[in-house]
Amino acid sequence: MVATLTEQVAQREQVLGKVREMLISVLDVQRAPDEIDPDAPLFGTGLGLDSIDAVEVVVSMEELFGVRLSDDAMVRAEMRTVNALVDVVIAARRSRGAA
Amino acid sequence: MALPDDFAAIRGSVALSRLDHVSYARVRGDSAYEALDAIFPGALRMRDGQMLHTMLLTDDAHPFADAYLCWDDEEFFLLAEGPSSGDLVAYLRDHLRDSGVDVEDRTASHAIVALDGPYAWETLGLVVDPEAIGLPYLTFYHHADWICYRAGKTGEYGYGIIVARTEVDALERRIVDVGERFDLRRVGLETLDQCALENWFFNIRREGRQPVTPIELQLQWRVSYQKAFVGSDALARRRRDGPRQRLTSLLANDEIAVDDIVSLAGEAVGRVVNAGFSHTRSEWVATALIDVAWAYSGIGTFTVAGDSRTASARSVTPPVLNNRSLSVSPQLHSYATRHAYPMPDLVRR
Repeated sequence: MVATLTEQVAQREQVLGKVREMLISVLDVQRAPDEIDPDAPLFGTGLGLDSIDAVEVVVSMEELFGVRLSDDAMVRAEMRTVNALVDVVIAARRSRGAA
Repeated sequence: MALPDDFAAIRGSVALSRLDHVSYARVRGDSAYEALDAIFPGALRMRDGQMLHTMLLTDDAHPFADAYLCWDDEEFFLLAEGPSSGDLVAYLRDHLRDSGVDVEDRTASHAIVALDGPYAWETLGLVVDPEAIGLPYLTFYHHADWICYRAGKTGEYGYGIIVARTEVDALERRIVDVGERFDLRRVGLETLDQCALENWFFNIRREGRQPVTPIELQLQWRVSYQKAFVGSDALARRRRDGPRQRLTSLLANDEIAVDDIVSLAGEAVGRVVNAGFSHTRSEWVATALIDVAWAYSGIGTFTVAGDSRTASARSVTPPVLNNRSLSVSPQLHSYATRHAYPMPDLVRR
């Protein structure tokens, strides 16, 4: 079980790293990667992204991870925090793996 | 299943509360901005009329207060939770003593009433004036002798009105009268704290009692490593050494309580620091400080043990609700016609 958990954690950390990279290089978040906490809010407070950035997040998630964020209400739920984006990527990879 | 009335109000209509746990202080002086910038951990990128959700730290970089710093024309005011108003003002005067600024405690003379809920904006607009409806998040304005601000810790639309204590009872009567058409309920601090827990809002009275820094608490967004502030040296050392634990959100079907031990594969890996039953989810919600190796969302095999209790728990990505307020727009919706449009489920499974 521990080996499986270790693998699961490693996968999550890998995706988290890439999402942090996206936030810094594409969304211009002025933070070092280790300053971007996994559960930091993206909008409003937190990392301070705005509605224009939200469009960029949607575009970047598709370009970098092949993930399409659809439907308004769910997009807001899926983009609330850094970890929420990580969840979407991991779910998409699992879904492709199962397909 | 119907929610208990208090939570139904916060999650579905509007709730009224008196924020007696919040201190109100004003800071004035020619060098007030520079003086405050030297003690608050975040960059003070704000302008007149704006609020900054921030915190104050001890010299050890542990939480001292959870605060909104507000720029009000040529002075600032602070709305802070955690310390008593006396301790807050003592902290400010101690750290600002060479700056020439004046600190005034207004907690005794003023009260704060709060409105929280998906239709709090609509209620506020009728109580104060329609201008309040358009208030952007983390801003405030003066309405006669009141200060109306938009901020809250439930994940729903949230507002506060700072009012002289001599007027607060009359204001609350007016709110209750207007609130009848919104099924408004008065709620207490316990309900607000549970909603804050569900929405991953830092609670100075729970998570804030731990001897940890903003790094462990996942509050680095409130910190700037580019400046000096109270606790900055200690925080830099913790960042250099790396945190041993990180605050993580847990869900469980069975009871979890503060100080319960969190284990994974038979080894203790953390401790619960905040917990409560979520009527919205019909589950227990908690935050725990967990060893960084395992402080990740998506682990389904934690065990949480307390006095004669054991619960299986899973780590999740917070917040743990789909707040209705995310789907309610003041431009399009109203409480009276709320049944006319579909809403997402409150709970993400």
